[in-house]
Amino acid sequence: MPTHPTSTMTLGKALNEGLRKAMENDPKVLIMGEDVGRLGGVFRVTDGLQKDFGEDRVIDTPLAESGIIGTAIGLAIRGFRPVCEIQFDGFVFPAFDQIVSQVARLHYRSAGNVKVPITIRIPYGGGIGAVEHHSESPEAYFAHAAGLKVVTCSNAVDAYSMIQQAIACDDPVIFFEPKRRYWDKAEVDTTASADPLWSANVVREGITATLITYGPSVRTCVEAAAAAEVDGHDLEVIDLRALSPIDWDAVFASVGKTEHAIVVSEAPVFASLAGEIAARISEKCFYSLEAPVLRVGGYSTPYPTSRIEEDFLPDLDRILDAVDRSLAY
Amino acid sequence: MPTFKDFNLPDLGEGLTEGEILTWLVGVGDTVTLNQPIVEVETAKAAVEIPSPYAGLVTKLHHDAGTTVDVGSPIITYDVDPDGVAESTGGGEQTPAIQGGDLVPSEPGIVGSPTPKADSEEKIAVLVGSGPKRGKLTRRARVSAVAPEPPVVTQADRPQPARVSAAAVGARAKQLAGGLHVLAKPPVRKLARELGVDLRVIGGTGPDGTVTRSDVHAAAGASTAPPPPRLAPAPDFDPATREQRIPIKGVRKMTAAAMVQSAFTAPHVTEWVTVDMTASMDLVDRLKSHADFEGVRVSPLLLVARALLLAIQQHPMINSAWDEETQEIVVKGYVNLGIAAATPRGLIVPNIKDAGRLTMPQLAAELDSLVAVARDGKTTPADMARGTITITNVGVFGVDAGTPILNPGESAILCFGAVRDTPWVHQGEIAIRKVTQLALSFDHRIVDGQLGSEFLAAVAGMLSDPWQLVSWT
Repeated sequence: MPTHPTSTMTLGKALNEGLRKAMENDPKVLIMGEDVGRLGGVFRVTDGLQKDFGEDRVIDTPLAESGIIGTAIGLAIRGFRPVCEIQFDGFVFPAFDQIVSQVARLHYRSAGNVKVPITIRIPYGGGIGAVEHHSESPEAYFAHAAGLKVVTCSNAVDAYSMIQQAIACDDPVIFFEPKRRYWDKAEVDTTASADPLWSANVVREGITATLITYGPSVRTCVEAAAAAEVDGHDLEVIDLRALSPIDWDAVFASVGKTEHAIVVSEAPVFASLAGEIAARISEKCFYSLEAPVLRVGGYSTPYPTSRIEEDFLPDLDRILDAVDRSLAY
Repeated sequence: MPTFKDFNLPDLGEGLTEGEILTWLVGVGDTVTLNQPIVEVETAKAAVEIPSPYAGLVTKLHHDAGTTVDVGSPIITYDVDPDGVAESTGGGEQTPAIQGGDLVPSEPGIVGSPTPKADSEEKIAVLVGSGPKRGKLTRRARVSAVAPEPPVVTQADRPQPARVSAAAVGARAKQLAGGLHVLAKPPVRKLARELGVDLRVIGGTGPDGTVTRSDVHAAAGASTAPPPPRLAPAPDFDPATREQRIPIKGVRKMTAAAMVQSAFTAPHVTEWVTVDMTASMDLVDRLKSHADFEGVRVSPLLLVARALLLAIQQHPMINSAWDEETQEIVVKGYVNLGIAAATPRGLIVPNIKDAGRLTMPQLAAELDSLVAVARDGKTTPADMARGTITITNVGVFGVDAGTPILNPGESAILCFGAVRDTPWVHQGEIAIRKVTQLALSFDHRIVDGQLGSEFLAAVAGMLSDPWQLVSWT
């Protein structure tokens, strides 16, 4: 534990501290996943937790994602709060059936009698030069399934509070962690009160256009907004934080102000969350829009080899080109 | 010459940071071949035999069996050229061993350190992948304007790409600080842009204050085609007589009295001139984007008013009054510029006090507020008193001109008609030009035909060639 309430820590360390706090506060909180115990996780997010909380609460599982989630369902029904780590985004698909067919539906199927307060942590997104299955953005699959909450943090401050809020939530929460931002540092006040889990944050105020984004792309958008200042553009950046449900009021208020909206994420644009966000803005902000809502994201290809991933990921140029396109209408 | 090579413990499965050396399968002095198993290592996942990456003589084993070694640190040193002469006895020393906890990846996707490094400036060692990529902080150079993607509407409908100027951003900031969000559907926004109407300064009459298509047409005024006809309020006919009797009172009564007094007191003469306004309309467009005119409406009426004020400087007698009682002509050294405004209560003529002393942006702002106050029915008697000359802008109703009646106590009134696209002889050829008509009525007791004609020609000249505005500014 940090000795001072405020200390500088990485996003990965903030998650570690948040998990530790959740385990201290509630003895029913368990951690399970591949290499989460002795190794402390491939990104060190669960580092030291098995040593301090024991092998019964921090469980190294077999390499079987479906089994991890299935086991967690049973534990959750019996009153535990399992926090499952899926080691990488591309590894979640063996567990997809358990998640969308069971985790998402048990509360509904049991007419509200059975809660499954499972948190499923998934490091996601690219930009770390990794191999296939290690750089994907599968958030839309889960946001599409009714019964699941989907959230993602973009910085250490949110990471610390959001992981605790997700664990405390009685609904199952898919918790996406922006893996290329694990090493981003921020001042984290472990005693500060947190924003509500389902709220979006305006991380940069502006008036020219709104960049709506989440997770790893938040920093990219903030950097794009800084680069756009020389063009005389004053861009607003919204970090959605919650992807299901979405804090629509925050989005609509911003678009009502700027009249230009651009949605940015790493996920392939086709049939994406960005598409849902664009559609909803068009519907609710029709009288405010000076331009169609534009989407900037990945292409409709499998995630590419790491040598060319920077051409796949939205960068400053692609974001600012979209800003120019929007303002040219 | 002997060539020593270290071999570092590789990551034997993704995400591993260390391995325990179970058994050395070779010893110092052994000659090994490429891919010969050299050591058995147990990791968190499995025990594996590691093949030799080199052929050569083993000169050093860095760790005993049973030792746990960090991934990335050297475990064995070879002399791959044993027939050469050794430079030193310390085999492998020329490649400093990398200490655990401070590892440097030797190859993408292979090695890592136990704790991730956080500073983005330094290379972050990770277990999987080559580490987070910094990305760029600056954008590439741009061409001046970026064209929208290929049109889905016809090319004629497509607006010109435009960069948002710093001035526009500033204007927008002011507007937002006032809590004003414009509501208008995109086609109306497009219409407003095409007609040069600033949505921020016109009130919306649609649901929730939405600016409607007809609001934009109304605001576009003289510079555009007439709006689609609006339905007049249905008269309240008496069923028996099929007539409606409206008491003569209020503004209507005052208007009638003033018109009768004027028409039967001052002998009116009206002259017309037709003007090519094309250059003035271009100037209006340019002024709209000028920083000095942030937040105010720039309309053709502004230029007409300016031209009138400058023409008065050239012909002061036009700005005068007939005082029957004292038998004097009173020439005014100031211009209180009346603007005839159609309001829900009827015609009123508030005036801008001492308009001749105002700068263009001030004049624009005064015109704005005068019309807004009049439309809100908040014009005070003081606003309407002591006028010296008047402009009536009938063009907003889509008509060309008329024979205006003088505001009592004044000696001239200028009528500004609709600006129309008209075939016009321009530089010796027929061209489509923006053409309007001006009509000037004047009090023939004071103003002779020559003065009236020269005054009207001066106004027309400045509007057809707005550069002339500069010479008197």
